[in-house]
Amino acid sequence: MVRRLHLNVGEVNVTDWDPPDPRERSDLGPGDIELRLSADLVNLPIVRSVVATIATRADFDLDAIADLRLAVDEACSTLITRAVPGTVMTCRLTVSGDALCFTGDVQSATGTEPSTKSFGWRVLTTLTDMVNSRVSSNGQHYELNIELAKRRAVEVPGAGV
Amino acid sequence: MRSSRPEAAHPTSSNEYQHLAPLFDEFAALPPDDPRRSEIRDELVTGHLPLAEHIAQRFSGRGVAREDLVQVATVGLINAVDRFDAERGSDFLSFAVPTVMGEVRRHFRDSGWLVRVPRRLKELHLSISGASTELAQHLGRAPTPSEIAAHLGISQDEVYEGLEAGNAYHSMSLDEVLSGDTENLALGDTLGEEDAGLAGVENHEALLPLLRELPERERRILGLRFVHNMTQTQIAERVGVSQMHVSRLLARTLQRLREGLTEQETE
Repeated sequence: MVRRLHLNVGEVNVTDWDPPDPRERSDLGPGDIELRLSADLVNLPIVRSVVATIATRADFDLDAIADLRLAVDEACSTLITRAVPGTVMTCRLTVSGDALCFTGDVQSATGTEPSTKSFGWRVLTTLTDMVNSRVSSNGQHYELNIELAKRRAVEVPGAGV
Repeated sequence: MRSSRPEAAHPTSSNEYQHLAPLFDEFAALPPDDPRRSEIRDELVTGHLPLAEHIAQRFSGRGVAREDLVQVATVGLINAVDRFDAERGSDFLSFAVPTVMGEVRRHFRDSGWLVRVPRRLKELHLSISGASTELAQHLGRAPTPSEIAAHLGISQDEVYEGLEAGNAYHSMSLDEVLSGDTENLALGDTLGEEDAGLAGVENHEALLPLLRELPERERRILGLRFVHNMTQTQIAERVGVSQMHVSRLLARTLQRLREGLTEQETE
C-alpha cells in the first residue's frame, strides 16, 4: 500500500499562492532562473549556492564566483531584514553574454531605501560592477528591490569555452 | 600494576607521570567542597599536559591546525581528570589516553568535513585548489573552471563537483595546514589604515568595535578587499592562503559584522 501523507491537500490551504498556469508563456529567458523563497535568513545558503552554481557553469573566474556569492548574501540579508515577516522574497538570476545579473524583491515595511553610505552598501559596490536599489509603492505596501550585476573579468571568445 | 596499553600508546610515558599517581588518591579522598581539590586538579592537568600534546601530535597533519588540536586534547585531558575514578583500581593513563583521543576524534568529526564527502572528492577539491593557485600565478588573475579543467585534464563537470565539495568543508580546513603558518602577517603595516578607509561609512562608530574584535588576519583580509579593493586572488597571495580560504574567511567575517550591526540596531 502506498503510504499517505498526513496532509489532506484538498482541505488544507497549504498556501495562498496560485501556481502559475503551466500554459502561460514564460517571461524567463532560456537560462534565466527565478526563485521564490520565504523572506527568512535561513534561506540565504540556498540563494548563494544557486548563484555560485550559475556563475560556475557560466565559467566566471573563481574570484567573480566568490564575489557574487558574497554580494548576493549581502543583498539578500539587506532585503530580508527589511521584509515584512512572513512574506516572500523573489530572486531572479540572468546570465547575458558577459554579465550575471541578480534582482531581489521583497515587500518592505518601510519606504526607505538602504543607505548607500552604509558598510553593507560599500560591500556591494566593491563586489559588483553595478548595484542599484529601488523602493516603489502600490498604495498598499512598499516593494524594495536590489539589483546587481557582475561582469566577467576574463574575455572569453564565444563565452563559456 | 600498570596495564601495558598506555605504554603502547605512549612508550616513554609511564614513568613520566608516576609522581602524579598519589595525587589521584588524595584527590579522591577530599570532600567535594575542599579548596585543595582545585589545586590538585590544576596540578594533575598541568602535569599530564605532555600527554595531551603527544596525542595532538599524533593527529597533526590531517587538516586541523596543531594549536587547535592541543587545545582540544587538553579539554579531553581535563575531562579525563574529572571523570577518573581512582578507586576502581585502573591507572590514569589507560583511562586518559582513550578519553583524550575520543575528544580529538570528535573534533575531527565536528569540524572537518561537515557532511561526509567521499575521499575522491576531497582529493579532487585539493587538486583544484592547488591548480587554481598555480594558474593564478601564471595568469595574474583567478582562473575559470574551464581553465582549471584544461590544466588538470579533467572534465568541467568534475571541476564543478570538486568546487562544490569544498563548500561542504568547514572553514578550518586543509587550506589552513597547506598554507602553513599564516599568522606571520606584518601586523603594523596596515593597522589603522582600514579604519581610516572606512571613515566615510555612516555606521562607522558601530563598525569600529566590531572590527577590533576580529582576529587580526580576518580584519586584514577585510581591509584588503573593501578598503584597498584587492581581488581575492591578490589577497590570497599576499596573505599566503588559498583564494578559496580567503573567500570563506570573508564570508564568515561579513556575516559576523552583519550580525553585530543588527544586534546594535535592535538594542
